[in-house]
Formats: sequence, structure tokens, C-alpha cells
Amino acid sequence: MRRKLLGIIDATSYHEDLEDLITHRSLAALPFSGRYRVIDFVLSSMVNSGIRSVAIFPKMQYRSLMDHLGSGKNWDLNRKRDGLFFFPSSIVDYHENRIGSFDLFAANMDYFSRSTQEYAIISNCYTIFNMNYKPILESHIHSECDITEVHNKDGGSMEMYLVKTSFLMDLIKNKNETGYSCMRDVVRDPQSQYKICHYLYNGYAVMIDSIESYFNTSMNLLQPEVWKKLFLKDQPILTKVKDEPPTKYIKGASVKNSMVANGCQISGTVENSIISRGVTIGKGAVVRNSIIMQKCVIEDNCHLDSVIMDKDVRVEAGAHLNGTDQAPFVVRKGTKQGALMNS
Amino acid sequence: MGKKKCVAMLLAGGKGSRLNVLTKDLAKPAVPFGGKYRIIDFTLSNCSNSGIDTVGVLTQYQPLLLNSYIGIGSTWDLDRKNGGVTVLPPYSESSEVKWYTGTASAIYQNLNYLKHYQPDYILILSGDHIYKMNYESMLEYHIEKRADVSISVIEVPWIEAGRFGIMNTNEEMRITEFEEKPANPKNNLASMGIYIFSWNILKEYLEMDARNPDSSHDFGKDVIPLLLEQKKKLFAYPFKGYWKDVGTVQSLWEANMDLLKEDCELDLFDPSWKIYSVNPNQPPQYISPAASVSESLINEGCTIEGEIDHSVLFQGVVVGKGTLIKDSVIMPDSIIGENCCIEKAIVPCDVTIPDGTVICSMDDEIILVMNEMLSCLKPAVKQPY
Repeated sequence: MRRKLLGIIDATSYHEDLEDLITHRSLAALPFSGRYRVIDFVLSSMVNSGIRSVAIFPKMQYRSLMDHLGSGKNWDLNRKRDGLFFFPSSIVDYHENRIGSFDLFAANMDYFSRSTQEYAIISNCYTIFNMNYKPILESHIHSECDITEVHNKDGGSMEMYLVKTSFLMDLIKNKNETGYSCMRDVVRDPQSQYKICHYLYNGYAVMIDSIESYFNTSMNLLQPEVWKKLFLKDQPILTKVKDEPPTKYIKGASVKNSMVANGCQISGTVENSIISRGVTIGKGAVVRNSIIMQKCVIEDNCHLDSVIMDKDVRVEAGAHLNGTDQAPFVVRKGTKQGALMNS
Repeated sequence: MGKKKCVAMLLAGGKGSRLNVLTKDLAKPAVPFGGKYRIIDFTLSNCSNSGIDTVGVLTQYQPLLLNSYIGIGSTWDLDRKNGGVTVLPPYSESSEVKWYTGTASAIYQNLNYLKHYQPDYILILSGDHIYKMNYESMLEYHIEKRADVSISVIEVPWIEAGRFGIMNTNEEMRITEFEEKPANPKNNLASMGIYIFSWNILKEYLEMDARNPDSSHDFGKDVIPLLLEQKKKLFAYPFKGYWKDVGTVQSLWEANMDLLKEDCELDLFDPSWKIYSVNPNQPPQYISPAASVSESLINEGCTIEGEIDHSVLFQGVVVGKGTLIKDSVIMPDSIIGENCCIEKAIVPCDVTIPDGTVICSMDDEIILVMNEMLSCLKPAVKQPY
């Protein structure tokens, strides 16, 4: 496998509906499920499938993504040969959500030409799943297709494509003649001269492209039958290590139906919520149906319901913040929410 | 190799036989502690946080897990181009294999390692204690006092002083006398087993000790008394803060329970002095609708459906519905079935406790749960450790 498959993650995606959460970070670096970023799912799937060379194409606001991935050590990708590669885009006014843009790839042709891997998997960065790519590669080789597109169980495209690396390089080189600008163009062209195959993936997979899908996917994760599909013992989702202590439940704490990451100190009540690393929840505070990201401080006697709280927010004692399950109340990163700013 | 001002030597060969099955297959410094850590994490993190980047770890008893746990030291940021962590097992010379017979002989046999770094000072540590300490401050004290040896001491309650090695000092903290477990203690300053030696003194006295056939080659029993006898300058460095020797099942349990206090002296949450540990990389803990958790420390990867009261749970622990866990420590990947009751117990790693098991102490003694116990007893297990 090491010799066979390149991993290519397109991290340029931007979804306007997620604006409040991705103004200062790439969608790939959006925190998810208490201790992960959305890119961890595709990256871990690749690494667990034996892929040893991964190229990431990020766009603007990639500081948090770079900070998260570092040298790739947490994914065992800090290697002498192959490993993790970053190719930030030099194209500034690039807005479309085209997964696998040939313009981006063209600027980094050396990566493809220097790689020895015969095949490449091109993927989006915002799918929550845990997939083994080996069966897809086998199916691709067996069927002698030019492109294998991964489909979910509803028949929709998962925006993941498996191709021969040499075929991909030809597509990139000939993009002006063919008019194809990305992988999607090639597979959607009814007159396409290539053999396009579909691989049906029956497992759990959800794309995060709106606040609604982010909120619902997170909440669904509280069902054991859902998280048991994502968090597999022999295919762990890897992420950046933080060295947080275990979470401390203080006398008077009451926690039900929730996911809690490490490093939290909880004195209040938490129900149906996802609490990320290093969160403090004060005495008498109540957090329901909410997603609280890293290092938030919720002081005593606050009431939060249906809130998505970005990192480093402080909610002052006694504050009430309420959203609805259709329209969760989104609190931007690093803000302070006072008791008098009730929404 | 470049010269180093201070090199640490960490004695991690302890068998810890009073910890029973917990140290059957691993050395005492590798025993899990505090929901996430192993005992040695505290000393290695102290080194890293104190700016000591060269640490020799002396292993002997059951070193496999400990060696692989330490690896190249990257967990504690001790993977360095010059220095870093070096595991130092006993080795054979042309004529014989030399086991480490005492703490002093272990260091003596690795003088060559120390010579590589030409250190001015040697910090000697033990991997058996739970505490947070800035060794740099102790080194400054050692230099300021122009000491030959500095020994870190902690005030213990007078009533317990007879259990420790007690340092009698003058008003300048110079050590005048060392008494091992005195019946009538004259002081309550107990040695913490942490020494800073100036290099020349260490080399000279270790060589002297090695030549003495009557010596048991132990710092406390042989080397320190000899230094005092020869009127060397030994100073006591007073340490204030949490410090605990976790050598018994009881003290290991107590130290875990100490972490549950709201104003715990040993602050694991202090970002300026983190305790590093090999990360298990597991998903967040899941607390089910039926669960309840109070006054506890719980690590990632746990699935909790029962009631957890005043307990410490390591990564990957599963607790079934209707189960009560009280005043207990559950080590990694143990699975506790449904409708169990576990009170005042330590459950070691990878133990599966069947549904309906009751484990509770009849007296105040802590129960160390063993597999043999579970296989031979019916659902009601009531047997002291």
C-alpha cells in the first residue's frame, strides 16, 4: 500500500453557511466531537489504510490547520521518505467549491511527478467518516476504470476519487485543452471518453457544509450506535495531542448523555452536549443540547441551551444563552458573553 | 557530546513488591496513576519543566514496558540532538554481568555515561514518587550553599517521622546527622530520595564505595553516612508541596483519592507545569443518559452507564448499567459489567468483572482485585486484599 496510494486532501473548501465558525480557520480545521478537527477523519482514514504520503492543499486562513497538523507526527507522517506535504494555494481569488481543482494541482506538479505511488485518492476535507481505502483500490484495479468515484448509500457523490497518478497528471497537463477544471467536471461530463466507476460506501459518512449539518451531526454522535461506527479500536481517529489531565467531575456535577473530552472541570449540569478539551463549567451552570469548544469558561449559574460555542469564549456568571435546534445560537471565538447580553 | 551543566539520573529499577500484582509484569515506575499517567511521568515531566534535558533512566526489574513507554522521550519533550533520554540497563563486561545491587552501584556502573557529558552537577532521582518540583531551584540552592551534596527534604508529621530517613540539621540547614527510621526522631525533615551531587564528590565517593566489600552500595545506607563522617558539606533543601511515595496498595489508593479533593495540592490542571504522558488517543468519554458521575477523574475512551462516585477511571474503562463504583481506582481498559458494586478497590488493567459482582471491603483495607479472585468466587466477592 505504501508504494501504491497517494493521499490528496483538498482543504480549500468554504461554505458560507458556516461563516461564523470558519472566519478565522479553514473548514478543515473546524473542531468536531470534543477533541478532533474535521480533517482528522479523512487523514486518519488514509493513514489507517496504509497511505504514507499525504498532500494537503489549503487556502486562506490556514494557520489553525498548520498548527493542528504540525509535522504530521500525530499521524505518524513525519517520515524521511514521503510523509505530510502542504501546498498552500497562491491563487487568492479562488472561491468555488471544486474538489480537486487542477489549477491547484498544476502549481505543484513536482509532487506528483516525484511520487512513486501508482495511484492517488483525492478527497474533500469535511466528511465525517472512518473508511478503509484498500477495498476501493482493489475494486479500482480490478474493474480497470479510469476513475472510481466513491458514493454514499443514498447514491450521492462523496467527492472522493481514485485514479492512477499518471492519469491524474495527464488531466492536469491537458486541462486547457479538455476544459476540465476539477475531478467533478470529468465525472459529470456526459460525453466523457473515460471509464468512470462508482464505489458504494455503505458506512457512516456525513459532509459538514452548514451550521445545521454541523449541529445535527454532532448531536447524532451522542447515540452509541453512531459513535461506535466512527470510533473503531483498530482504526483510531488520530488528532493533535494536548497533554490535558483527565476530566474532573466536582461534587454537585451532573452529566448525562454527553461526550466530554479531557482537561475539563465540571461543577454544573451538562445534558445532551459535547464538551471539548479544557472547558470549565461552574457551579449551578446548566448546559443543554450544546457544543462547547476548547477552553471555554462557563461561569456559575449560566444557562445555555442549543448553543454552538467556539473556542476560548467566557460566559459570565448568570448569563442565559438560548438557541433552538433548528437555529442554534452560535458564539464566535474568543468573545465574552455577559449576563446583560441575554439573547 | 556537548558539555552539560546538570545531568539527571533516574533510578527506575524498583520492583515495588508491596504493590503485588500491579508490579508482576512491570516496574514500579510504570504503574498507572491518576487516571492517565504512569508514576514515572511525574519525575520526567519535572525534569522537562525544570529545563533538565539530559536524563539517564536506570532500569533493571521488568523493563520491557518501561523501556518502550519511555521510547526516545518525545512525550516529555526529551528527544534531543544533544542529550535527551537514555535508558541505561545493567550490562555485561568482559568478565561478568553486573546487576545493579544498590542505588549507588547503579550510578557507579554508569559513570561512563556521565563522563560523556562532563556535568558539573548530577541530580539523582527516584521514579517512585508523585510530586511536582522545580529541580532548577534546588540546583540554585546547591550552588548558593556551595554544597557538596544537597538532599531534598519534606516536613512530615512528627508521629510518622519514624517511618522515614530523617535529616538532622543545624540552623543553616546543614545536615549534621542522618537517621534511617529513627525510633525517637529528633527532627521531622524526611529525605525525599532526591540528591544533587557536585561531580567530583560523586565520582570520588562512588569509587570509594565500590571498593568497599562491606557496603550495600546504597546512597541512604552507605554513601550519605560516609560523606557525613568525612565532614563533607551536605545541605537539606526544604521542599514544600505535595509529595507521596506510592509504594503500597494503600498509599497508591490514597494518592489517587487525593486528586479528587477540590483544593488538591497536586494541581494537574496547571498549564505552566504540565504532567506529560503517552497519549492513548481515544475518543472523548461518553456519559450515558442513565449514568451519574460525581467527585471523580475520568479519562478519554471511557463509556459510563453506571454511577461513579469519588473514583478515578483510566482510559478505555467501560462501566455497565446499574453498577456503582465508589472510592475506587479502575485502571486502563478494564470492563465492569452491569449491576456490580465496587467499593474501596483498585482494579488493575484489562480486568473484566462479570455482571452482578460485588466487591467491597469489610474493614478499611483496600482491595486489589485479582483475576484469580474473580474466577474462583461467585458474584459476592468479599475478600480483603
